[in-house]
Amino acid sequence: MDIDVRNLHPLEIRLLRHVSLDEPITNQAMIEQLGYNIGQCNQAFSWLMAKGYISETGRTSKTLYELTDTGKQQQQLGTPAERIVQLLTAAGALSLPEIAEKLNLDKSDVGSAFGLLSKAGTCKMAEGNKAIIASGQLPGEIVAGRVLLNKATTVLIDDADLSDDEKSFMIKNSKKRGAALSPFKIVEREDVVYSLTETGSAAQKILEEKHITGEELGAVTAALLANGEWKTSSFRAYSLNTPPARMIPGRKNPYASYLQWVKDKLCSLGFEEFDGPLVENEFWNGDALFMPQFHSARDIHDVYYVENPRHTKKIAQPYLDQVAATHENGWTTGSRGWGYEFDHEFTRRQVMRSQGTVLSAKTLPQARVPGKYFGVVRCFRYDQVDATHGADFYQTEGIVLGKDVNLRTLLGLLKMFAEEVAGAEEVKYVPGYFPFTEPSIEVHIKHPVLGWFELGGSGIFRPEVTKALGVDVPVLAWGLGIDRMALMHLGLNDLRELFTPDIESVRMRRGN
Amino acid sequence: MPKIEVQDRFLYELLGTELTDEQLENIFPVAKAELDGHDLDEHVLKIELNDTNRPDLWSAAGVVRQLRAYRDNILPFYDFFSTEEETCDSEGRRLIIHESAKMVRPYSIGFAATGKIVDETILLNLIQSQEKICNNYGRKRKTIALGVYRSDLIAYPVHFEGADPDKAHFVPLHMEEDLTLRQICERHPKGLEYGHIVADKPVFPFLYDNNNDVLSFPPVINSARIGAVEVGDENLFFEFSGTELDTLLLSAAILACDCADMGFTILPVRCEFSEETAYGKEITVPFYFQKPVACELSYVKKMLGVDLSGEQVVSALKNMGVYSVVDETSVYITVPEYRNDYLHPVDIVEDVMIGYGLERFEPEMPNDSTVGRITDIEAFARKVKDLMVGLGFQEMMYNYLGSKREYIDNMHVDGKNYIKIANPMSENYEYVRPSIIPSLLESESVSGYATYPHQIFEVGKVAFLDDTDDSGTTTRNYLGFMASASDMGFNQLNSMISTLFYFLNKEYTMVELIDPRFIEGRSGKLIVNQTPVGVFGEVHPAVLESWGCSMPTIACEVDLDLLNQ
Repeated sequence: MDIDVRNLHPLEIRLLRHVSLDEPITNQAMIEQLGYNIGQCNQAFSWLMAKGYISETGRTSKTLYELTDTGKQQQQLGTPAERIVQLLTAAGALSLPEIAEKLNLDKSDVGSAFGLLSKAGTCKMAEGNKAIIASGQLPGEIVAGRVLLNKATTVLIDDADLSDDEKSFMIKNSKKRGAALSPFKIVEREDVVYSLTETGSAAQKILEEKHITGEELGAVTAALLANGEWKTSSFRAYSLNTPPARMIPGRKNPYASYLQWVKDKLCSLGFEEFDGPLVENEFWNGDALFMPQFHSARDIHDVYYVENPRHTKKIAQPYLDQVAATHENGWTTGSRGWGYEFDHEFTRRQVMRSQGTVLSAKTLPQARVPGKYFGVVRCFRYDQVDATHGADFYQTEGIVLGKDVNLRTLLGLLKMFAEEVAGAEEVKYVPGYFPFTEPSIEVHIKHPVLGWFELGGSGIFRPEVTKALGVDVPVLAWGLGIDRMALMHLGLNDLRELFTPDIESVRMRRGN
Repeated sequence: MPKIEVQDRFLYELLGTELTDEQLENIFPVAKAELDGHDLDEHVLKIELNDTNRPDLWSAAGVVRQLRAYRDNILPFYDFFSTEEETCDSEGRRLIIHESAKMVRPYSIGFAATGKIVDETILLNLIQSQEKICNNYGRKRKTIALGVYRSDLIAYPVHFEGADPDKAHFVPLHMEEDLTLRQICERHPKGLEYGHIVADKPVFPFLYDNNNDVLSFPPVINSARIGAVEVGDENLFFEFSGTELDTLLLSAAILACDCADMGFTILPVRCEFSEETAYGKEITVPFYFQKPVACELSYVKKMLGVDLSGEQVVSALKNMGVYSVVDETSVYITVPEYRNDYLHPVDIVEDVMIGYGLERFEPEMPNDSTVGRITDIEAFARKVKDLMVGLGFQEMMYNYLGSKREYIDNMHVDGKNYIKIANPMSENYEYVRPSIIPSLLESESVSGYATYPHQIFEVGKVAFLDDTDDSGTTTRNYLGFMASASDMGFNQLNSMISTLFYFLNKEYTMVELIDPRFIEGRSGKLIVNQTPVGVFGEVHPAVLESWGCSMPTIACEVDLDLLNQ
């Protein structure tokens, strides 16, 4: 067994340093020799027992006497016998009832005390049944009683230590039960006797070698620093393995930290952040993205509509007219359009933003060329909420504008995202479909932990989108599904957990 | 996205070979298809089709047509299409569209098919095509309704008219009773589902033959006799009714090509309208209406980043089943009969890309130099978050939609400037969050078991009604924080605000606020530059009681957009 004396409390150290191998270790001995109180003895014994440094070798039962409230009173004011002698010495002859009245004692107590005094010749009964002082010499029993009363204020009286006089006093003045009127209460106690074990002895030797006395300094206090006591003492070594108390720190949410990391990553790749309102209208949410107004994804069962105001007051020109004409006949975009009559009221209908691409489109009219933009934005879908669908969720989307961007630069961009943002080992491109891009590409990656999965969708914005919004260069558009990686990063497998209100769950969440 | 189920044997048969699932997965991207699953017990392949503008791919025959063009380099060829120049012989099969139809559903077209006995698999495929075309492409029968009939029982010509809903009648499929069209709308399950499409019209669409035998009440239900195609039938009649002629012609072309691929012989039908259409007064269906589309070769190069020769472009398009010719400057394609998705030359570019092989394009890093930056409000929000963390707060993140109970009832406010969702899926997500405080209190209400003190915050968006914006709403970036503990109160709150604003370097004053969310006399508004930017206070016990919170709680909310001005 390894002996680590740093685990020892000063109470244990002082005990170990004090006792020798064959010496019985008892409460009483420690109280007398080390000045411990009963509680400290018990602590030291139980700790040392647990460490195997001492073992129980036997038990002794003893009878002890404890001062009662009556006893404490008598210790201070005197016993009835002492007080009678005092009174008679001062006041001369008095009858027993007079004594009882003056001393405020029971007649029976006065009677028995006087009996004792007259038997010992201290007092006697004179004429007219008046008591007077005779020898004035107190009986041995009373003298012994006074010693016991005084001693009992600090320690329990052990029956084994009593003299004959003391014994006869105790017999009359103690009770086991109902002792309220007696000065002493009898307490039966079983004391355990311990002795040092081999291990304890070894620990003792180490303490001696290391000069650890148990008198070392504990906590460093301002007073200690001021009085310089530390200069002449040594510090008690603390155990390093004590389980620490819990701390609750202020912390960022690990999901927020992950999103921030993604934003910083995109910034480092030259992207500028965009943002926008949660409430959108059909114009930006779908029309500007060249999704026909009858498109199945624009159904009441896909998008959340705002109850009031139902419509936005106006849509910015010239974009409204250009987009409307593009839907109807292609306008000047080179497209034939969708060939239906654009609904100018529907386009103003307000919805909760359902896709991040909305903000990519909204950025186009103000965008610089060349330019790279991104957003990590909250979107809303009319979906049954479950482990893979939230009522609202983040999408990470962006665009790249440039005179010379094309399919190959799109693939390069996706490769860069796959490696930089997702840590992909392999990248695969697959033709995809989005209403607002042509060509459209899905990027699948082999992630070191998750294996193959679809990282995102992308493409080159259709000219019907860009030209109608005043942009004449090709625009790469991309979206990354980072939630899957965020869940892995956080060790979760349910999207709902990302927005949990449970404080403890968020507190304990680490992130990889 | 459309999903279809196909008997695996049937797909292999159409392909002319049996492919493993892995081989299918590798070749499917050509059709923008994904293998969703393969039920080995039922021998069914589940296929998802991503292109919502390519209804020709939403059937086994359609997918296989695309795959075979790519794999076997075969251009599909169909000889039963009439054009504006050349009309196929309809052998007396006629469909007459009466003028009355204009009042309800202006167009109806059809063709017939023969020469193959309908088996279980073919029947399932026809039903699936009907459903995909009508629901996904035809907007739940609104713009396309497709019926299949037993051609043997039909006496040509077939008639399509707008009929009196209370007089025209027949026995509908799956019923034995003879009902008027209006009764069908009221009683038949399909009537209840689709009757609304025509309900407000003076006449209802009605399809019957020359013996007055009824084919159907499009777009609702077929008749129980002519309209009950079953296994063993060999002669079929297909009818498409709707509101847009091109959409119907395309749907008919897709079904005709599918049937031809499945072994049927297609028999054209002459459709006679009461007035001129875009393709004349009489159209023999299947009809090829598509116009040639061209794309400049320089545009192909600009979009794809590779200088493909004219031959390479033609070959790539052939891989996609598209016939084309080139000259010095451009490629000209003959749009396949079953497609109509070339809106812009860029759509040709994508076909070239897929046909050439996406894997053959070398990724190239974009080399334009641009400056990355976060928004000003994001930068400010980060500063605020760092300070809140330093003050010992845990950052939380919440949903932005919630219930009336959370945002209004529990907060003891009237919610009059809150944004409500018109079509909530559940009452749990009926309002847009106007404030972060309800989110924070929800946390407190579910976290009573967690070690105290609770100190939490969020920096996020809220939105509420605001007349000054065109949308009548505004979205703001807010900080909300809340602290709960047995000894939490106004003094700590005051210290937190003071510390936060000191380090944000914002001078503020506090003025008293009467707000049912807080205890009066222990709450206030924060004013910066004469503008109220936030509220704070000890949360009112009535609010705590509504949330079921049992600890004293303080809360504060600040508009970061205003503070950052």
